[in-house]
Amino acid sequence: MKHYTVTIDPVTRIEGRAKITIWLDEQGDVKDAHFSVFDLRMFEKFLEGRPAEEVPQIVPRICGICPVSHHLASAKACDMLFDVEPAETGALIRELMHMGQYIHSHSLHFFFLAGPDFFAKGREQGLLALMQEKPDLAKKAIQVRKVGQKIVEKTGGRAIHPVTALPGGVTKKLNKKEVDEMTTDLSSVEKDLRELVNACKEGLLDKKKLMLDLDSQRSYYSALLNKGDFDLYDGNIRVITPNGQIAEEFNPNDYLTHIGERVEPWTYLKFPFYKKAGWPDGAYRVGPLARLNVAERIPTPEANREFTEFKNEFGKLAHNTLLYNWARLIELYYAIERAREILQQEKIVANDVRRPFKIKKGEGVGVIEAPRGTLIHHYVANDEGIIERANLIVATTQNNAHINRSVRDVAKRRIESGKIDERVLNDIEVVVRAYDPCLSCSTHLSDQTNLEVAILNEHGKPLKVLAR
Amino acid sequence: MKLRIAVEGLGACAGCEIAILDLHEEIVSLLQDLEIDYAPILIDKKSLGDNVDVLLLSGSVRNKHDAEKAARLSEKAKITIALGSCASFGGIPGLANLYATKELLERVYLTTESTENKERVLPSEEIPPLEQVIKPLKEWIKINYNIPGCPPQPKLIKEMFQMLLNGKPITLSKKTVCDECDLKREEKKITKILRWGQGEPDSSRCLLEQNYFCAGPATRAGCEAKCLAALMPCRGCMGPPENVTDQGAKMVSAIASIAAIDEENRVDPEQLATMFKDIVGSLYRFTLPSSIIPRKVSEGENK
Repeated sequence: MKHYTVTIDPVTRIEGRAKITIWLDEQGDVKDAHFSVFDLRMFEKFLEGRPAEEVPQIVPRICGICPVSHHLASAKACDMLFDVEPAETGALIRELMHMGQYIHSHSLHFFFLAGPDFFAKGREQGLLALMQEKPDLAKKAIQVRKVGQKIVEKTGGRAIHPVTALPGGVTKKLNKKEVDEMTTDLSSVEKDLRELVNACKEGLLDKKKLMLDLDSQRSYYSALLNKGDFDLYDGNIRVITPNGQIAEEFNPNDYLTHIGERVEPWTYLKFPFYKKAGWPDGAYRVGPLARLNVAERIPTPEANREFTEFKNEFGKLAHNTLLYNWARLIELYYAIERAREILQQEKIVANDVRRPFKIKKGEGVGVIEAPRGTLIHHYVANDEGIIERANLIVATTQNNAHINRSVRDVAKRRIESGKIDERVLNDIEVVVRAYDPCLSCSTHLSDQTNLEVAILNEHGKPLKVLAR
Repeated sequence: MKLRIAVEGLGACAGCEIAILDLHEEIVSLLQDLEIDYAPILIDKKSLGDNVDVLLLSGSVRNKHDAEKAARLSEKAKITIALGSCASFGGIPGLANLYATKELLERVYLTTESTENKERVLPSEEIPPLEQVIKPLKEWIKINYNIPGCPPQPKLIKEMFQMLLNGKPITLSKKTVCDECDLKREEKKITKILRWGQGEPDSSRCLLEQNYFCAGPATRAGCEAKCLAALMPCRGCMGPPENVTDQGAKMVSAIASIAAIDEENRVDPEQLATMFKDIVGSLYRFTLPSSIIPRKVSEGENK
């Protein structure tokens, strides 16, 4: 019987660091697989002692890719904690910042990192391959992302780690000139986006057929919904069963009633689950695919047309992990359309950007759909408004259980009777990438990804190294 | 010959890498002179080549694995640059130095409200153990330059590449954030420290002179004072100015120099200090691990 140790180190084109271990049984078949995440930065603890109104300035550093999500979830938690309704225009500017982030983050993930798997020959070179093979498309991808980052900078003060949101709204008004620039920028990339998406879809359809039976896993899904509609900024949390029935719809403030987190000794990343279904059945998925599965419609026309086409093609409920990529493209349309809608509102240039608040004792929960899924910030502050306790549940953590299952599925398919199909390396990377895992976020941790795959025999002994 | 570069992050948020990408279309022209040898966030190459000219390392060493990786990579590069404030000073994750590792782990894995962990399981298998304290990268490996900022502004990164391409030593601004800030200063003295968000500041005037804590006077320029342009006081992410080691000490002296101590409407300096609700988190938000007292020292501890 032959045994191997397979190492992918580092796993590239994703954000964060992890290791994969696969155990074989006596027959050389896959017994189990772990996706272990390496470290953590422990924001939950060191937020203690900080003034609550400063927390929106600190938590963006959890993630350099989606700092806006943490900035805004935190500001929303502080609104509730200090009992202040955000100013109307301030709330619109926050949502616009969020849309800018989606344009950046989704473009980054698809066009720069994962997409080259589907539409570039020298995919190992990621964006660089695209630059060489299809320089025109690469330039367009760079432009689309740039438009997103420019919106974040205008609304948030800086493109990475924005600073404007505070309890009650934002610090900075928008002027007419800024609004016009953003509108023009958005119009200038709409045609490019269509071209990019069409190029991607061809590649995705191909790959989908290839991987369809590899990784179709049924799961619970969870996402924010605003009166049944898709929404990335606000709403209630809806959980649906693997059959698509509504299991629960709740106010995010009640998340502790519905969501529990499990700890395993072999990873720094926890495992959230839907309590009513228990562990492990209640392990759910979040992010683009979950949002499309949970929503009944998307309230902007182009994105809704894409949404309908998606449902016609893949059914009301799509379980295939690789479809996360497709769902991300549909959300890119939504982000651009929603940003334009916000910019068209007259009150976007109004002065009403912040409301006063008083320092007091309180508790607040702030929830938002981050690009990778629902993000929850929860703070308790003392009489002086100083944080006493903080709890964070981030997007990728909620996909942790299913990333593990996906890896196991792929391993089972590619490893049999001790024989290892070398495509296991490639397929594991492709499926892990589909989740767009942000390991910086998920353990509020760190580092570029090192995904090691180690295959162990029935005695837990590492076997031969097989690297790409 | 192109300049061969490698980009890697240790314990970090990836914001420094995104800051490089935020050069947008300028990257295309930069790539005529630069060759990316290794950058796991972008390309699949799994190890560093032998002839790397410049290694850009961001983030901090949080576990044993980070320490080994930093040493392994920097050995192969001619020049190693600490990119960003985590690598340069310890950064925001350095605030964890205020707690013992045990306290940190207990909060995250045992007592967080959503955690269900009756068996009191702490992650300990198959993963690298944590380092007890965060230290700036220069305490782990030889660093040729620090490029500060959380993250460094793309403009600063571009200047860095230009200096490297010209074979020149990298120099940073010797000014402070106040020198880059457009808000108007009137040499007013302060009588109190307000918390951010209290009252409504005049959007044309210096925020420090309006009694809001702003780390501008104790922070190196090079960020274009973007936060202040968005009406958010500086929190010091660029680290201390030239020839200053301890950013907090510098800030205390800056506050002392504008506190109305001798005036008629005087303020007791001690009273001013009590108005600070979070001294460490304000004065050392990005630089605790590289300050004179880099961590919390427990009672009875000899070290």
